[in-house]
Amino acid sequence: MAQKLRLDDQGIQSALQRMAEAGVENAAAGLSQMIGQRITMSVPRVTSVPLASVAERVGGPEAQVVGIYVAAEGDLTGHMMLIMGLDDAQRLVNLLLGQVDDCVVGLNALGRSALAEVGNLTASFFLNAIASLMQCSARPSPPAVVVDMAGAILDIMLVSAGELSDDILLLETLFESEGRQMTILFWVLPDLLTLESLLL
Amino acid sequence: MEQVITVGLAEIAVSDNPDAVLVAFGLGSCVGVCAYDPVRKLAGLLHAMLPQQRNGDGNKCKYVDSGVAELLSQLMARGARREQLTFRYAGGAQMLTAPGMTDRFNIGKQNAEMAHSVLAREKLQLLASDTGGHAGRTVRLFVANGRVQVRMINGDERAL
Repeated sequence: MAQKLRLDDQGIQSALQRMAEAGVENAAAGLSQMIGQRITMSVPRVTSVPLASVAERVGGPEAQVVGIYVAAEGDLTGHMMLIMGLDDAQRLVNLLLGQVDDCVVGLNALGRSALAEVGNLTASFFLNAIASLMQCSARPSPPAVVVDMAGAILDIMLVSAGELSDDILLLETLFESEGRQMTILFWVLPDLLTLESLLL
Repeated sequence: MEQVITVGLAEIAVSDNPDAVLVAFGLGSCVGVCAYDPVRKLAGLLHAMLPQQRNGDGNKCKYVDSGVAELLSQLMARGARREQLTFRYAGGAQMLTAPGMTDRFNIGKQNAEMAHSVLAREKLQLLASDTGGHAGRTVRLFVANGRVQVRMINGDERAL
């Protein structure tokens, strides 16, 4: 790399913002279709966050959360994760499996595989929108569902981003369902090379 | 009155306040390296995310190898004696286990191995370690007595 990319550069943040809006809109539409209920999304925010404070954004590093992780592969590479509290994960599973809200099956194998499918679909729709804008190809890895402390789960994404910089460039969107109160964070961490290609 | 000092990702904390507890919350593939001088009652905790520093990147605390060196130098600057220092470390889990999932580098294992080899190379006194597995850990280091507690998400808590 001839020149060190500046993550706080306005150009790169607004380029990413444009891509993110298209990607997130498509992902929300796909997710709404899958669960048969309208999912609304907040306008994605692109922010640069110091490594040490990333976990604060999801309730602190020891908070128990569910993360659905998908890597982007192909011309565009990076990391994507849906992050939610245990209660919201349970609500989402109930919604997907057509169960009533007070039915607590826990995150059994069926629940986890339903969540994995949500991750797969969200990531695919997100990547497809961006890849078609940029006329390149990108595909999601198989999804992984992890239930653990937020800090431990975020390590999965932060390791590769953190190797290159002390801050990460984070794209953050909030999904909310209209019917049942449910909030899901969608985080995207593009790799540095992908960020550079967005600027060309 | 217990005073919690949080040690974030890529950070070091050093304290001789007997009421303080140094805590690295939610370590996944990261490792927390605890150091304690029982005579001086001085404690230090490193929260590192990658095994090895390359090309002199600025933040030493991000890496296990340069982080341990930095931890050592901060402790010595506060009056610790090298031969008195005892070390424990925990973390280095493999968080991704799904079939076909890329945990290409198993960074957690690399971090734990680096902690072990750096301490051995520097001839520092290693008392205990708790690494590997597939779950996160919170590590607490009590400044008053050097005790180290490891907690998992299921509530399991044990002394290290």
